[in-house]
Amino acid sequence: MTSEQVTPKLINLDMRGQVCPACLLVAMDALNRHREALNNGQETLCIKTDNREATSTIPTTARSMGYLATVTRIDSFYQISIGRFITESRE
Amino acid sequence: MITNSTFLICLAGSIIGLLAGFLMHRSDYCVAGMFRDAFLFRKTFMLRSLALQVVTTLVFFEIFRALGLLPLYPFPTLGFASAATIIGGFIFGIGMVMAGGCVVGTLYKMGAGSVVSAMAFIGLIVGSALYAEVHPWWASFMKATTFFQPAKTLPGLFEINPAFILLPTTCVAILIFIKWQRENKFVRQSEVKGYIQPWKTAVTLALLSLLAYALIGMPLGITTTYAKIAAMIETLLIPEHIGTVSFFQLTPLNIIHPSSGALLQGGPGPHIDSTWAIQFPLIAGIVLGSTLSAVLLGEFSIQYRIPPVQLCMALSGGILLGVASRMSQGCNVWHLMGGLPILALQSLVFILGLLPGTWIGSKIVSHIILKQTMRSTDDR
Repeated sequence: MTSEQVTPKLINLDMRGQVCPACLLVAMDALNRHREALNNGQETLCIKTDNREATSTIPTTARSMGYLATVTRIDSFYQISIGRFITESRE
Repeated sequence: MITNSTFLICLAGSIIGLLAGFLMHRSDYCVAGMFRDAFLFRKTFMLRSLALQVVTTLVFFEIFRALGLLPLYPFPTLGFASAATIIGGFIFGIGMVMAGGCVVGTLYKMGAGSVVSAMAFIGLIVGSALYAEVHPWWASFMKATTFFQPAKTLPGLFEINPAFILLPTTCVAILIFIKWQRENKFVRQSEVKGYIQPWKTAVTLALLSLLAYALIGMPLGITTTYAKIAAMIETLLIPEHIGTVSFFQLTPLNIIHPSSGALLQGGPGPHIDSTWAIQFPLIAGIVLGSTLSAVLLGEFSIQYRIPPVQLCMALSGGILLGVASRMSQGCNVWHLMGGLPILALQSLVFILGLLPGTWIGSKIVSHIILKQTMRSTDDR
């Protein structure tokens, strides 16, 4: 048994500086791969990016898949959080 | 209008460049991305703004032409359509997706601190230098495969007034735009700081293109200067070689501007000439305009921790862009934002090659990125 099945876990993806469209591609890939854990609320996807376009495209894609998505500005980059209960955990 | 003063040409170029770079950064106005995302993700939001830009430019150019304010029509250095242009467009399409930006996108992304785009920029210069070596061979191929000669534009081919084609096209386009506008398809919610809706950037870029055409005599173009920078570097490193490269002796720009009487002369050779005066300030302006935007937003940052495979991909993409923009005598900005609005045949066939190229480029890039992600996830 891995730890992610026991405690909610942050899946971190640091995409800063990477070529377009790596951010969206990798995010979609991760959304698919972690679908079950994300759906159960056991995991939250946390993407760091400096790609301005990705802050629109990734949340749109995630929301269309039924997740909650938030964008937060941190220092010089943006952090996109995706999950089932992300809003509750923030507020 | 301002062509008898090199200072004013440079000033106009810098201002246009600064504005363009600033806006492109704010809206993330990436032409390569527009086509790529349409193919990869079926996301066409940005492509709508590009359509708006092309049609707005078309209307501006046509009004100014009808008023007699564009004495150079079609503009100088526009070539004939040929099979070479299609092939060039195809390679350009692959290159711009691999580089993560076209020749202009690379500049504004580099301006905001992107190391990947800096690699693509180096590739662009290397690619231009490589093309110079094969130019005689390619030029004869181009000549042999030219079609529609002597027509350079679609109206010219049918020998009709451009308005006969442009007017109905514009009417249809406006109807489509009104539909999009009603469906709220031109704006989107964005949570980034200082976001400028892409349609505003599109209209401004059309205005800037008109400004360049009316003031200098040509729409926006920058790629000859990439070749020029390559020639300048070669002059420093291998000065005995440069004299043997026929491409660097060319002066494709060689006109007397009808309204000012000024002689505009220039080409890819390593000299400070009219081509340099028109294009270099524009290049520098786009980079600095984007830097300014990023710094003002507090978003300027240079990230070095990038998968090496992406750096290689951007460098290769840049090389393809450099080679292809010379093979087809102009880049996507020149053809989409300058040639297409006057229905230049060369630009139309360039796009014919560009679309399948972008599609293949998108496939290559998504394959490389996902493979690399898979490998790095396995490592963990």
